[in-house]
Amino acid sequence: MPMFLPRFTIDQPSTLGEASRLLREYGEDGCVYAGGTELLLAMKKGGLRYGHLVDIKTVPGLDAVAQQDGAVRIGALATHMALERSSLVRSKLPIFAQVEARVANPRVRASGTLGGNLCFGEPHSDPATLLLCLEPTLRVTGADGSREVPLPVFMVGPYEVALEPGELLESVTVPLLGAHQRAAYRKFQLHEYPMLGLALVLDLDQRGAVTTSARVAIGSVSPTPRRSEAAEALLVGERGAVRGRLDEAANALADDADLLDDHEGSAEYKRHLIGVFLKQAFEEATADTSAASGGRGS
Amino acid sequence: MASNTRKSPSAANGAASQEAVPDELGFRVVHHSVPRKDGPQKVTGRATYTADVHIPRMTYAKVLRSELAHARIVSIDTSAALQRPGVVAVVTGQDLMSLNMRNYGHAVKDHPVLAYDKVRYIGEPVAAVVAEDETTAQEALADIVVEYEELSAVITVEEALAEGAPLVHEQGYDQGVSPGHVDVDTSNKRSNVCQENHVRWGDVDAAFARAARVIKGDYTYPMTFAYPMEPYVSIADYTEEGLTMYSAAQHLYMVRNDVAGVFGLPLNRVRMITPFIGGGYGAKSYTKIEPLTAVCSWKARRPVRLQLTVEESILTTRADDSKVHIETAVDENGKLLARRAMIYLNTGAFAENSPLVSSKTAIRIIGPYLYDAVDITSYAIYTNTCPASSYRGFGISQIGLPAEGQMNELAAMLGEDSLQFRLKNLADSGQRFFPKKRPLTADVKGDIIKATEALGWNDPLPPNRGRGLGVLVTDAGAVPVGRSEVRVYGDGSVTVFSGSTEMGQGSMTVLAQIAAEEFGTSMGNVRVMQSDTALVPFARSTGADRTTTLEGRTVLQACVEAKEQIRVMAADIWEAAPEDIVLEPTGVMSEGRRMGWGEVIGKYFDLSDMEVTGRAHIRQKDEFAELPPWWEPAIAAVEVEVNPDTGKVTVHKLVTVADIGLAINPATSEGQDLGSATMGIGVALGEELVYDGQQLSNGSILDYRIPRFSDVPANSHGILVENQDGIGPYGAKGIGDGPTSVICAAVANGIYQATGVWLHDAPFTPERVWRAIREQRAAQAQG
Repeated sequence: MPMFLPRFTIDQPSTLGEASRLLREYGEDGCVYAGGTELLLAMKKGGLRYGHLVDIKTVPGLDAVAQQDGAVRIGALATHMALERSSLVRSKLPIFAQVEARVANPRVRASGTLGGNLCFGEPHSDPATLLLCLEPTLRVTGADGSREVPLPVFMVGPYEVALEPGELLESVTVPLLGAHQRAAYRKFQLHEYPMLGLALVLDLDQRGAVTTSARVAIGSVSPTPRRSEAAEALLVGERGAVRGRLDEAANALADDADLLDDHEGSAEYKRHLIGVFLKQAFEEATADTSAASGGRGS
Repeated sequence: MASNTRKSPSAANGAASQEAVPDELGFRVVHHSVPRKDGPQKVTGRATYTADVHIPRMTYAKVLRSELAHARIVSIDTSAALQRPGVVAVVTGQDLMSLNMRNYGHAVKDHPVLAYDKVRYIGEPVAAVVAEDETTAQEALADIVVEYEELSAVITVEEALAEGAPLVHEQGYDQGVSPGHVDVDTSNKRSNVCQENHVRWGDVDAAFARAARVIKGDYTYPMTFAYPMEPYVSIADYTEEGLTMYSAAQHLYMVRNDVAGVFGLPLNRVRMITPFIGGGYGAKSYTKIEPLTAVCSWKARRPVRLQLTVEESILTTRADDSKVHIETAVDENGKLLARRAMIYLNTGAFAENSPLVSSKTAIRIIGPYLYDAVDITSYAIYTNTCPASSYRGFGISQIGLPAEGQMNELAAMLGEDSLQFRLKNLADSGQRFFPKKRPLTADVKGDIIKATEALGWNDPLPPNRGRGLGVLVTDAGAVPVGRSEVRVYGDGSVTVFSGSTEMGQGSMTVLAQIAAEEFGTSMGNVRVMQSDTALVPFARSTGADRTTTLEGRTVLQACVEAKEQIRVMAADIWEAAPEDIVLEPTGVMSEGRRMGWGEVIGKYFDLSDMEVTGRAHIRQKDEFAELPPWWEPAIAAVEVEVNPDTGKVTVHKLVTVADIGLAINPATSEGQDLGSATMGIGVALGEELVYDGQQLSNGSILDYRIPRFSDVPANSHGILVENQDGIGPYGAKGIGDGPTSVICAAVANGIYQATGVWLHDAPFTPERVWRAIREQRAAQAQG
């Protein structure tokens, strides 16, 4: 393993259009460069080779975070640390701020961006795992203008996303949680990347006793973070009944995850952990159902 | 570490030390936590490490590494690489033919400067490119074409010892300069056994035959990396005058000897300089990349810098992993009778320091206990994996879990408290527990009482928690040979010249404290010049916790010798008899007349900037004749919590005890002990290098995780036991290897108390703990 950064050039465009044009021009030999925390590492390892990096940090305004019609619109260049510290995110989407605060390490949080994280298609992404349950819309810009893409469509596979040549991720719009929605996030980590991330969002009835709808996602244990319809169906219903089905729901999650044995642990252990953390997340999400504010997290 | 509860006289005394107010033991500078001399330059980024050194016309080398675990080299084509613009030279094994020696090694000369006949592990250097810049050198590596003939490889000890196993080395080798620890050197026999050691006394079979209870077990210790923050780096400048090198080398004199041997140069033509080292922990002891860097400079006729990455550093030297079978016998009263053990170390492709490491495992697995009989055998085994060498405490980490884990299990089996069981069986200070070695030089019984009291050994345990204890001893100090010089100037300033290196452990500060104490002066008035073989006196090594104790003794003695010279000069000035001159803390006195040390020198020579040099040495003679110079205890007690859902173990409380004799600098002493325990926590809870087939699969900065500050127990307490019973200056004894080795055993006992399961295979990862608990429950359910 050489761990040596090869030669490359850096372009610093001032508009997204110019960035898109450069990327189309370079084709396979070019790549978008934002925080670089994943990209430069992969280049050092020799896993990725590009002669040209297109640095979009010189495009103004791409890191803006703003409220927009019951949602928070996050510019692709907003760093994990900016989101962790954003008063808007902290007050309107506290669960997201909490997850961002525990991404990787301070150096990565300070330079790594949400857009870069999503575009890299990293299977261990905590933000992607949580966002699957928050159901954001991604705005993508290319030569032929902009389009909006749901996150599950964007995430094609490990390290693979649905961007056409010359297309860039511009922003991520995350709907706010409603008064009767509860969220929790759990993660288990031994090494540099998490072994397991688990996100849960529950829609509760007026009394807070019945789940009317559930979204649950796991990350790090599967080729991409993913949800499980079977598990979500089992999480709908009266609290006591759901509690009795949590093992079954965890197994459904694990079944849908394509668990693998690797250095983080065996598939069997990961299946066990999914059960442990689903229960923890469920108890946390349903713990304080009289409170008015949504989106409480771990 | 905000809630760290360590306490010492340190904080309050930092300022007081600069004043001439003696403490309760009469010390003004030593026994005080004076600020580190290298502290300001290190925390402001101004300190010079090897990578910061630039010399004119310097070029840069990069290394092509073997992608096969075991293969014969058929050919190497370097022509394309040589044609790349900016490439200065390409070095291969063919270039070694005209050298004095193609191999080096302080124990066994089995290590080729570059692979020349075959490669023996994935990652072994096969060729090096020297270029005007590092990127060009790296790019040119891809131009080199190596043709191999693949051979079958042995990765594990079992494979290496199997009947008809392929041989990692097919020929014998000469011994190196330091084979003194060799018990049975088998490097000349045709097998994969690199070294075999035996420690035996008494009639073990008879002792086991009459035993009331016997406990047996098998244990493993993982493959690890010592992980100094600074990767290997060296700079070589080979000219007609000789060779000058800068290198991050703990033992620069040993490196000098190895490199001189490669070229057949006299010692005075090899100058080794070691700037500050960014951590060693054993990984930077003995020769590493220096011969290759020097050969690159010799071939390129230019100064060459070779800077490795962390990933390449892991491929350069790791620590031996071990498998141990151990049995211990007790009589009907729970008194230890005998212990026997078989220890197998996976030593990798080259001996490096593993002959010493393996010989030390056989000594250290016995512990400071009283046995009628022992029979210990240890082996260092060659395999086609990256070479293993020293790791903090030379072999004690590899045997800590079997030695002390089994002691805990034995106490539990007998229904005894593991503290009381130990107190019944440990040797007393001054007791000869190990035949033909120095009697025990530490109060280990008192030490473990202090450790357990500080931990709250008998306090009620919260659910899922457990406590554990471990105590071992190392025969510390290596070989007691060394020299120091102390120069006193006419203005009263003082410089200490020492061959020891400053690698973060604090030698620069401690040696200065001794001189400042002796000359009654301030720390600011003492300078320490270190680790340049052309200028400073010989130091055998900087390791085995020897610097404060052994180099410190020579510095102290050199100060005394300089003062004796000044006494004679003062007698001449005052026309008095030397014996009538009284040596006071800050100078000389006779009949009410006083002169400072420097004043005497100036007056004697009638030249105010003249100087006097005191010199002293020690060798293995007189009070240093009996080995070891001192026994260094490794003592820790922990309280752990096991998460019953995930199996994750958290160390909540840690108590370490350093039986230090006298802490020359309490703050740096505590730092060493806490750092040592933290290394042990890393291995106990997760550190492990893993071979996936023939390939090291997690040897990278991302995949190999060592403890962070957040892993240091919130409640950490370091105890310094100062009985002034050491052979070092003012009764000091070296520390630093510290409690690394006993953490696994102490944690294992805590896990047992919390869960009822004994773990024998470190690290105790959450999954391993979870599986052990699950298997136990399944077994209980079956009845």
